[in-house]
Amino acid sequence: MVNFELNGAHVSFEAPATMTLLDMLRVELGVTSVKKGCEQGECGACTVLIDGYPMTSCIILAPQVEGRHVCTIDGLAENPLMKELREAFMENGAVQCGFCTPGILLSAYALLRDNKRPSEEEVKTAIEGNICRCTGYVAIIESILDAAERIAPD
Amino acid sequence: MEYDRILSDLLNRDEYLVVGKKTVRLDALDKLLGKARFTSDYIPKNTMTVKVVRSTMPHALIKRVDTSTALMVPGVVTILTAKDVPGENEIGYALPEQPFLNDKKVHYVGDPIALVCAIDETTAQEAMEAVVVEYEPLPAVFDIDAALAEGAPIIHKENNVAVKTKIRKGDIAKGWKDSDVVVEDTYWSPYQEHMCLEPEAAYAVPDGVGKVTIIACMQSPHLVREKVARVLGWKLNQVRVIQALTGGAFGKKDDTGPLISGYAALAAIKTGKPAAYIMDRSEVLSVTPKRFPVRFKYRSGADGKGKLTAVEVEITLEVGAYANRAPFWLWRQTAHACGPYEVPNVAVDGRAVYTNKVYGGSYRGFGNLALHFAAEQQVDKLAYELDMDPVDFRMKNILRIGSRTTCDQLLDNSVGIDKCLAGVAAASDWAKHREPVRIGTKIRGWGVGCAYHGNSTSRSTPDWSAASLMIHGDGSLTYRTAICEIGQGSPFGHAKIVAEIIGCNLDSIKIEQPDTDSTPDSKPTHGSRGLMMGGTAAADAAIKLRERIIRVASNMLDCPEAHVELRDSQAYNRKKPSVKIPFAEIVEEMHIRGENPASYGFYTSPRRFFDVDTGLGYNYAVYTFAASVAEVEVDTETGQVEVTKIWPAMDVGKVIDPLMVDGQIHGAISQGIGFAIMENLQLKDGVVTTTGFKDYIIPSALDTPEIDDTIVVEEPYKHAAFGAKGVGEPSIISIVPAVVNAIHHATGLRFSTIPITPDRMHKALKEAGKK
Ligand code: FES
Ligand code: FES
Repeated sequence: MVNFELNGAHVSFEAPATMTLLDMLRVELGVTSVKKGCEQGECGACTVLIDGYPMTSCIILAPQVEGRHVCTIDGLAENPLMKELREAFMENGAVQCGFCTPGILLSAYALLRDNKRPSEEEVKTAIEGNICRCTGYVAIIESILDAAERIAPD
Repeated sequence: MEYDRILSDLLNRDEYLVVGKKTVRLDALDKLLGKARFTSDYIPKNTMTVKVVRSTMPHALIKRVDTSTALMVPGVVTILTAKDVPGENEIGYALPEQPFLNDKKVHYVGDPIALVCAIDETTAQEAMEAVVVEYEPLPAVFDIDAALAEGAPIIHKENNVAVKTKIRKGDIAKGWKDSDVVVEDTYWSPYQEHMCLEPEAAYAVPDGVGKVTIIACMQSPHLVREKVARVLGWKLNQVRVIQALTGGAFGKKDDTGPLISGYAALAAIKTGKPAAYIMDRSEVLSVTPKRFPVRFKYRSGADGKGKLTAVEVEITLEVGAYANRAPFWLWRQTAHACGPYEVPNVAVDGRAVYTNKVYGGSYRGFGNLALHFAAEQQVDKLAYELDMDPVDFRMKNILRIGSRTTCDQLLDNSVGIDKCLAGVAAASDWAKHREPVRIGTKIRGWGVGCAYHGNSTSRSTPDWSAASLMIHGDGSLTYRTAICEIGQGSPFGHAKIVAEIIGCNLDSIKIEQPDTDSTPDSKPTHGSRGLMMGGTAAADAAIKLRERIIRVASNMLDCPEAHVELRDSQAYNRKKPSVKIPFAEIVEEMHIRGENPASYGFYTSPRRFFDVDTGLGYNYAVYTFAASVAEVEVDTETGQVEVTKIWPAMDVGKVIDPLMVDGQIHGAISQGIGFAIMENLQLKDGVVTTTGFKDYIIPSALDTPEIDDTIVVEEPYKHAAFGAKGVGEPSIISIVPAVVNAIHHATGLRFSTIPITPDRMHKALKEAGKK
C-alpha cells in the first residue's frame, strides 16, 4: 500500500511493486494530464513535481512516492504563478499540439517559484529535459520569461 | 473565382476583424489545463490490449504461424492472423503491395503478422513471445545499389523499381553548350524520424451489429475509414472514425492512422470487446514510416552572366519495404528539381527503389526538404564558381510572375520569393558577412537557402475539400472540418475565416473533433492543403450562411441588404448603427422564414492541362515560397556545429494569424536544424538500432538558435480564401540548405550528406588539413 499526497489530497493505493508512478497516476487514478511520451525518462511529457521538484514519473516506481507530495498541473489550476504562465503561453502562441505542455508548465513553475528572474539560459536549462517537437521552444522560452516579468516586475 | 476579391467585395471592409491579427487559439486553454484529451486519455482501465507480432526477418517467406501455445497463455482473448481478415488483406497507400497482416512473405523487420488480444499488456507481451513464426529466409538488400544490381533479390517485382518519373524541358544538349560553368555532385539525404511527442494510439469499440467506432490519432478520418472498411469488408458508413487531438503528426500519422485503427478495429469486431492498441516509443522508431532516404546526382550549368542554363538530375529514392507515398514523394522531387529558379533546359529522371528496410512515408516538406538540400547547394556552388555573391546569383534566376517552373508551368500569380530573399538579405546584413569570422577555436559563417513548395495535389489531379457550419438558436456556431488539429492549428485558422465572414465572435464557434458520422470529408491534412483547401471550403460554407443571415437581417432592420453589417455576433444597419439585433434573434427569424441555419461548403481547386509523358504543364495550383539566412559557428577543435541565428522569410499568401505563422516557422527551424546536424537514425542489417530519445537525438531547448522576426510576404493566391497558402510544410525546406551553405561558408567544406555531426565535421576538417 502506498500512501502519498496527490495535489493536496491523501491517497492510499495498492500498487504492485513494479508499477510506475506514471501508470499509477494515469491508469489507476485517472490523472490523464500526465502524458506518456517514451517511458524511457527522456522526453519529459510525464513530468510531475515530487516534493516540489520536477521528475519524470515514468522511471519512478509507485512505491517510491510513499510519504511524498506529488503534484500535477491539475493541482495548480488556481495557483497565481501557474495562471501567469498559462496567460503568457496563450499570448505568445506557445501551445501547439499540447502534448508536451503539462510537463513544460511544471518545469517552468518549479523554476519561477525558486528563481523569480531567471536568465534566458536558466530557462532553457530548466526545460532542457522537456522535449517539444512542435514549437521550436522559442515561444515557450519567451512565455516563461514573460511570466517571470509579470510576477516580479523590476 | 478570385476569392480574395470576392471576399473583400463581400465584406466591404478595409480592415479585417480577426484575419491577420494575433488571436489566442481556441484549444490553448484546455491544453494548458491538462484537460485536452488525446487518444490514450479516452481508453478506460482494463480495456483489452492489442499487440502486433512483427517479423524478425528482413526478407523471408512465412512457412507457418503457430499460435496454439500463445493461445493457452491465461488471459489471452484471441490471436488474429491474415485468415481472420474479413475483407481485403491490403493496406497500401498508392500500390496494392502491402498486406494488412502478412501470411506469405515479409519485407522488413517489423512487418505485421498477427494481432494478440489479451486482458492486459503483460499478458499480451507474454503471448506475443509464444507465437511461433517459421520462416524461410530470403536474401535481403539494404541499399539502393544492391537492390538495383543485376540478379538482386526480388522484393516485390523484377528490378525492384516501384515507380519512375521523368521531365524533359527545353533542350538539355543546348543547355550544356550555353554553360560556361558546370558543377556536379551526388547527395544523400537520410531517413528522418518524426518523433511526435505522442506515440500512436487507437481505441475501437464494437457498436451493435455491423458498426465499429474508432478513436485514434491521425491526419485524415476519411482515409482511415476507407482503409479500415476495406480490411473489414464493410461499407463506409459502418465504420465511424473520430480523430482525437493528435500530439504531433508531421505527416507520420497520415500513414500510421489507418494501420493502428485497423488493428484496433479488427480486434474489436472479432472479439466483440473494446480494444486498444498503443505503440511504445521503440516500436514507433523501429517500424513506422520515416522521411524517405534519397540520392540525387546533380549536374547544373550557368553562363558567364550568371544565368542558369541547364539542370540534369537523377533521383534514386529509397522506399524501403513498401512504396506507400513514394509515387507522390518522388514526383514532388522531380517537379521541384530546379529549386525556385527559372531554368530553360531540364532533364530529370527519378526512380523509387525497394529495399528490405523500414519504409518511407509522409513527412513535413514531402520530398522537398531533401531536394532543396541538394538543389540549393548546387546553386551556391555555381555562384562560387562564377565568383558571384550567392544572393545576387539567386536573384538573377529567381522565379517571378511570368516565370516558368521546372515543369514549364507559367506562374501568373502569388510569387513572392524575390521579396523573401531580398528581405532576409537585408535583415541579416548579408553584404557585410561575406567573410567568415574566426573567434578562438570557432569559425562563424553565413549561408542562404531558398525554397518553394507546391500546395495541394500535383499534375492537375482534382483536389476538393468540404466543411459545414451550423448556427444554433442562441447564436453560437458549430464548425465541422475533417482537416485535423495536429498541433498546427489549421482548424482554428478556418474558424477565423468563418468569424471574419459571418461577423460572429470567435469564441462563439466550437470546432467539432472530426467524426466521419457527422463531419464532411475535407480530404486529408497533408500536402499543404489544410488551410488553403480546407479554409476555402470553410469560407464557402460561411459565405452561404452569411447570405441568409443578411437576407433575414435586412428584413428585420428594414434596410437594403447592402447596408447590413455583421459584427460581434450582431447585425445592424451601417447607416443607423444604434439598433443592433443579436444573432440569436436572427436565427429564430431564420427558422420562421425557412432559411436553413446550416450550410455546407465545398471547394474544388482549378485544373488545367498537364502532359504526363513529358512531365510538363499545370502542376500545382500554387506555391508557397521561403528563404532563410543561417549563421553558424563551427568549432574546429571538436567539430561541433552550432546554429546561432536564423533569419526567416516566407510568402504565405495571406496571414490568417501571425502567431500561427511564427509557430510553424519556429518549429520548422528546430526540426530542420535537427535534420541538418543532429538526428541520426541508425540501422544494422535492416534493423533500427536508435530506438529512443536517448540515441535518436532531437533538438532540446538548449539547441534553440536566436530567430529573427519573420519576414512575412503576402502575395495572395487568387483562388483561396483571403489568398492564404500553406505554411507548415514549406517552412522547413529552406532551413537545411541555409545551414549547410553556412557551414560551407565557415569552413570551405561541402557536405553531400547530413547530419553534419561533430564526428563527420571533425573527420572532414582533418582530411582538409584545416585542423
Ligand atoms: S514518458 Fe517519461 S520521460 Fe518520456
Ligand atoms: S506542442 Fe507539440 S510537442 Fe510541444
